[in-house]
Amino acid sequence: MPQSLSLLLAVLLFPGGLFALAVGLLLKGVDRRVAARLQRRVGPPLLQPVFDLVKLSRKRIFVPDSACRPIFLAAPVIGTAAMLLAAALVPIPGVYQPDPLLGDLFVLFYLLAVPAVVLMLAGSASGSPFGAIGFSREMMLMLAYEGPIVLVIAAVALRTGQAEGGIVTFSLSEIVRWQQAHGAFLFDPVMWPTLIAFAAFCPANLGIVPFDIADAETELLDGPLLEYAGPPLGLFRVMSALKAVVVLGLGICLFFPNAPAGVAGLLVWALKMLALMVVGVTALRVSAGRKRIDRAFTFFFRWPLACAAFGLVAVLVL
Amino acid sequence: MGALSKLLGRISSRSPWLYRINAGSCNGCDVELATTAFIPRYDVERLGCQYCASPRHADIVLITGPLTVRVKDKVLRLYQEIPDPKATVAVGICPISGGFFRGSYAVCGPLDNFIPVDVNVVGCPPRPQAIIEGIAKAIEIWRERL
Repeated sequence: MPQSLSLLLAVLLFPGGLFALAVGLLLKGVDRRVAARLQRRVGPPLLQPVFDLVKLSRKRIFVPDSACRPIFLAAPVIGTAAMLLAAALVPIPGVYQPDPLLGDLFVLFYLLAVPAVVLMLAGSASGSPFGAIGFSREMMLMLAYEGPIVLVIAAVALRTGQAEGGIVTFSLSEIVRWQQAHGAFLFDPVMWPTLIAFAAFCPANLGIVPFDIADAETELLDGPLLEYAGPPLGLFRVMSALKAVVVLGLGICLFFPNAPAGVAGLLVWALKMLALMVVGVTALRVSAGRKRIDRAFTFFFRWPLACAAFGLVAVLVL
Repeated sequence: MGALSKLLGRISSRSPWLYRINAGSCNGCDVELATTAFIPRYDVERLGCQYCASPRHADIVLITGPLTVRVKDKVLRLYQEIPDPKATVAVGICPISGGFFRGSYAVCGPLDNFIPVDVNVVGCPPRPQAIIEGIAKAIEIWRERL
């Protein structure tokens, strides 16, 4: 198969694209169902996110008079495209290795910032005061959680690089391969501070409850998404489903990629995703309240940043 | 093409998002909507419903209150901001007849003089089961319009 075609397939069909979208929507469905069960409700059907998407695709597009039309409509498209590419960048251990041509951990790090930037653009272009508040909150939150994740990525890259005799490795497939040969970072005490920092980064990047400050429904009426209706709103939902797959998949790659090859590897991967979603997202979401933006800001600059810095020093020294 | 669009319509009807408008209600019906109809015992999420914060996301509108003079313009504007197709449920006796506030100089209801109401749920306030039945009926009506 020519390389351009295999790249296209990777972005649109198998690890990215349709596959990632299906996994992401199913994970969201499981999340809503489990959350309902934890509150002793029946909950929606597993395919509810799919129903929502179909419904949104059939509603009217609405652009407010006060909005900046090109940016307002382009924002969800850019965000979704970035996440499609990001999904093709994350390896599925034992099953899929991204082409080095697509990029490495650095590219992934930049792509992960795109949804937040796009939400800011959407909020500021919508011409609504709630969107503007959402914009400022999203920006503060992003400033707060970017620090720890840079250090997390640096720590993992250093650990693998040093072990392999070099200095750093920013290739995700290399990181996965090393862990598969020498044991996962999850069981390596030196990496635990880094793991804690990553665990704090996840909910903030995914925008779920303790850190859903930018689109706080009850105070900001969905903030940046307030003015969106129909298909563009659906695209934002696609983006967040893909982002869940990318962030959780990145967590698996960085800390626990051990899996057999072939179909069994895919199953193990799916099980890990499910476990991460239920423990890391759903349990957190139903048991916590929303943090205030200034509290979240100082929280990230205190604990996750300290943990990540300590983890980096530990990797350098030990 | 017709069959596909019909299928998509059937799928779409399983995702009705609810939006609440308080048109000068005494808050009794709102309490029933906010808490009773959504506590574990009367879970509406199993029908695929979800309260949405923005009128732009809404499919089914729940209106409470007798439509007072002061909120009339705002309610009408809000109603126009909800993208079609949509269905309307009037919750409580107030939007139907004015209820307790009937004949007041501050009330310009009944609601269906201004907004097409699809389902009336009577009661002061209505029971949660009645509200859920009203929502289910509104979903049926909304499905036809999809």
